[in-house]
Amino acid sequence: MSSTLASVTAAVSRQTLLVLYRQMQLIRQCEEQLARAHQKGLIHGACHTYVGQEAIAVGVCAHLQTEDVVFSTHRGHGHALAKGVGPRELFAELFGRANGCSRGRGGSMHLFSPETGMMGTSGIVGPCILQAAGAGYSFKLLESDQVGVAFFGDGAANNGAFHEGLNMASIWNLPALFVCENNQFATEVPLSYSAGNPDVGSRAGAYGLPGVTVDGNDVVAVYAAAGEAIDRARHGRGATLLECRTYRTRAHAEGMGDFSYRTREEVEEWKRRCPIAALEARLVAEGIATPDELRQITAEIETLTADAQQFAEQSPLPDPATAAQHIYAAPRIGIRSVSAPPPGTREITYIKATHEALAEEMAANPKIFVMGEGIGKRGGNFNTTVGLYDLYGAVRMCDTPISERGFVGLGCGAAMTGTRPVIDFMFADFILDSVGEILNQIAKMQYMSSGRLKMPILLRGCIGIGHSAATHHSGNYYPLYAHIPGLRVVVPSNPFDAKGLMKHALRCDDPVMFLEPRELLNLKGPVPTEDYEIPFGQAAIVQPGTDVTVVAIGRMVPQVLAAAKQLTQPGISIELIDPRTVAPLDMESILASVAKTGRLLIVDECFAPFGIGAEIAAGIADCGFDELDAPIRRVNGLHTPTPYSPTLEAAVVPQIEHIVSAIKNLVDE
Amino acid sequence: MEEGTFGEWLKRDGETIERGTALFVLEGEKSAQDIESLDRGILRIPPDGPRPGETVKVGQLLGYLVEAGERAPFETSTAPAGHLPVAVGDAGSAATPPAGPATRRMARELKVDLQRVPGSGPGGRVTPDDVNAWVPAVLVKRASERVTISPRARRLAGQLGVDWTSLRGSGRTGRIRERDVRSAAAANGPAAAQLSSSGHSPLQRVAGDLPGPWLSVTTMRKTIAARMAAGVHETAPVTITTRCDASNLVNLRQQFRQTACNDEPVPGYNDLIIKLLAGALVRHPQLTHQWHERGIYVPEGLHIAVAVDTDAGLLAPVLRDVDRLSLRDVAARMKHLAEQARSGSLSAADIQGGVFTISNLGMFGIEAFTPIINLPQSAILGVGAIVRDAAVVNDTVVPRDRLTLSLTFDHRVVDGAPAARFLQTLRQAIEAPGAALLQ
Ligand SMILES: Cc1ncc(C[n+]2csc(CCOP(=O)(O)OP(=O)(O)O)c2C)c(N)n1
Ligand SMILES: [Mg+2]
Repeated sequence: MSSTLASVTAAVSRQTLLVLYRQMQLIRQCEEQLARAHQKGLIHGACHTYVGQEAIAVGVCAHLQTEDVVFSTHRGHGHALAKGVGPRELFAELFGRANGCSRGRGGSMHLFSPETGMMGTSGIVGPCILQAAGAGYSFKLLESDQVGVAFFGDGAANNGAFHEGLNMASIWNLPALFVCENNQFATEVPLSYSAGNPDVGSRAGAYGLPGVTVDGNDVVAVYAAAGEAIDRARHGRGATLLECRTYRTRAHAEGMGDFSYRTREEVEEWKRRCPIAALEARLVAEGIATPDELRQITAEIETLTADAQQFAEQSPLPDPATAAQHIYAAPRIGIRSVSAPPPGTREITYIKATHEALAEEMAANPKIFVMGEGIGKRGGNFNTTVGLYDLYGAVRMCDTPISERGFVGLGCGAAMTGTRPVIDFMFADFILDSVGEILNQIAKMQYMSSGRLKMPILLRGCIGIGHSAATHHSGNYYPLYAHIPGLRVVVPSNPFDAKGLMKHALRCDDPVMFLEPRELLNLKGPVPTEDYEIPFGQAAIVQPGTDVTVVAIGRMVPQVLAAAKQLTQPGISIELIDPRTVAPLDMESILASVAKTGRLLIVDECFAPFGIGAEIAAGIADCGFDELDAPIRRVNGLHTPTPYSPTLEAAVVPQIEHIVSAIKNLVDE
Repeated sequence: MEEGTFGEWLKRDGETIERGTALFVLEGEKSAQDIESLDRGILRIPPDGPRPGETVKVGQLLGYLVEAGERAPFETSTAPAGHLPVAVGDAGSAATPPAGPATRRMARELKVDLQRVPGSGPGGRVTPDDVNAWVPAVLVKRASERVTISPRARRLAGQLGVDWTSLRGSGRTGRIRERDVRSAAAANGPAAAQLSSSGHSPLQRVAGDLPGPWLSVTTMRKTIAARMAAGVHETAPVTITTRCDASNLVNLRQQFRQTACNDEPVPGYNDLIIKLLAGALVRHPQLTHQWHERGIYVPEGLHIAVAVDTDAGLLAPVLRDVDRLSLRDVAARMKHLAEQARSGSLSAADIQGGVFTISNLGMFGIEAFTPIINLPQSAILGVGAIVRDAAVVNDTVVPRDRLTLSLTFDHRVVDGAPAARFLQTLRQAIEAPGAALLQ
């Protein structure tokens, strides 16, 4: 640790020192005012103040331009103010007003202001580290000199995101700065207890990164260390971990008890080490500023803070009618679609079809990059990226460490900052390691930023039972994702759909789960050479019929076609519908078909409970009750983990004979 | 009112009813009323109670209001002799044995007296298994043979007017399916079976997806809808039109206006036409005859229903014995009836017994239209606007007031020629109103 207060004048200009002073005052006074407002009931939810830690945000952000980006955590008011979010917008947000920085959608823990480079604070401890690395990845790909900064606590240093994020920043030499604000507690758990090595700064060495530890209550020390680190990042010399030792002198959150885990004396001791008072004393002692000048700054800030409070109190509450806006990006117009070419025209495999889509889009859009294990030179476990490494190199075709959570979180940060990541999981089972990043961050980002951030990320992987792949290489899981607002979930069943849907996914601004049935990868089918897209939410009528509507998903589509070939007796004419995307789900096409046939069977390899079939059945019972001439039936895979042995494996997947008999029974009902 | 059509129960069997609660909907000719309960109690609806659409007579027993704990007559020992002996017990004489609600319901459905069933549960509690063991197997089977029908088949049955309660279902479990209703309808008459279920757009039914707004449908609206649909589907409607020279009618009205005194209403065109219409109907009574299952019914009295547009919807109050009223009486009564219709104070009697309906859309500039027959009547006259038009009289073009009449009649009752002759009579009366009014 270095202390630089002794040489204040030598290191930093008077003007900068006054700016640092002013910014710290701004944060302190806003926080104290917010604490008062919390007591008055003006803040509806949680409120974590930054009192005592002001020097860190101020010392770091003094080096940042508007184009540089900050990702922060639950204790983020100070980071937002230091990055340039106005106190009015901050207060209005905490007061739940329509003109708050997150338009009333976030509150204390979700502050978004992409216009000022404040890319969001998160109520989940950890993801900001990965997102800052992702911003760094974008800036590297775009060859800009911007920097991504993450602020996080000592608690986050024990989270996997810290490990995966720092490692990836190191191996890819990313322009990022990781600022650990070690206030010695995660809520009430001391770092000395929770860390095998509580010297956070020293951990950087384990990842091959420079680690610096400074007195976080010394704004000049922070300023100096951050300056060096940011300069390193800007000039292509990679990331730094900066540990700032500090202390929060208010409770973890307003209204929480404080002395079950620490003493009043300890808190009082740290209050005496107030970073603002320390700077004030030095400025006066060294003749840099008079007490009057500093008092005047304090008074100006008082006016600003009072104004912010008044502004927020007078601001309107959001219109409840807007509560479900911005879950998805606005739909594109002018989408070029074609009808499926007749058999006999050029036929390629499913995997070749998606490869074509990806290759064409990568050629057209330099912001697309692919991440995954073995997708570089090797070309992917399933040949999803063969040959692309030679064309686009290691930055756009990026082999990853086995850090699923890490590179998904990184992809999220990249998508927030102007690039379009494609994450290739090989098996969709591995996605589960990153579900927190997908559900809590990726799916919610457009909504929480009230549509000011986009989330153009494609997450792809193989699904489905077969090849004796056993239970960790055969998951389907798409109902899980379809349940979540903000995600698009695509399950193509043939090469034509796969290419058109992949093209659409690579041009849309929403996060897309692109799930490819492994058993279909070598299926051949006609695919046009011309450019086309298939928009989401448009089911295909694979085969028209009059007696039974069968809705099948993914692998089950060809399975039902095979069953239909066996069912040639009169009175069993099958209308087969492939939704193609399970979110959005084209209920209208299904309903129109049921209105014709009066009978509905849903065939899905996925588990029945809480599944797509249940969703479709509920929708039809609701809107199409009077169309039904028989109960709605489902054929699903068994509700069991996938077994290995071929006889066991076959027993858990819907077989053609199951489908045949289900259709016959339904017609007899 | 001697009889009405039972609309629907507004309360369910077993619900507690307070005084003044609306109990059921009763439909008169063109109005539907919610009938309120005068007493409080628990509503019990007998299994053979009236079904929607059934005709019920004044004084007919529809259901029971019982006290808590009291049984309705239809569930006790007074059950008809056709029931199996197990059902006929000395119910009510001893305390009911303990049994859960499922057991009780089962006993009710099977008409089993729970007191006779030995309970095997704790404290002699009767279980469903006990009931099953007690009841002859044949009866259990009957209870499970309740008629079931798919929603689609039920809708179609309604559309085709098929009484499905007596159909045998072809479904695996005996469920009545679309095909069963269609073949029943085909047996009734090939035309009905043609009504295709694809006649409506399925997309209209994605209620969850349509943003709305949705309007709730009043009972009156439902009644109008049903009656209008019946007027089209259950008759053989034909519409014919004719153009009259209304110059003399216009003149006559002009004279009435000029000589009017303050306290008497001036007869309007509609009043004049109603009066002239009555004269034409006296000469062509066939237009008032009605088609019924039993035969053609000849109603008494020349009562003319007059369509009146109100905020709540279309109403048709009836002007009685028009042939015996003076033109002044017609005008005065019509004014009064229209006011009552608009203020919602028509009595049931005011809208019953019409033998012919007249509907006037002239005030909206409509010239000709196809009015819908107001069942059980056989004909309805649509009166258009009086327009000043070029007419050829004696080979010269002259301005004339012209009026178009549209007559829809039920071809089951009246053939084309007699209907045309009636319309011709009416046209001549309108063209020479003085003479016609003298008669
Ligand atoms: C993944 C996750 N686990 C638990 C929590 C609950 N939680 C909120 S703040 C906090 C402590 C965080 O400590 P630290 O990272 O040191 O930040 P500080 O509050 O000290 O600023 C915890 C455990 C959370 N928000 N996210
Ligand atoms: Mg902490």
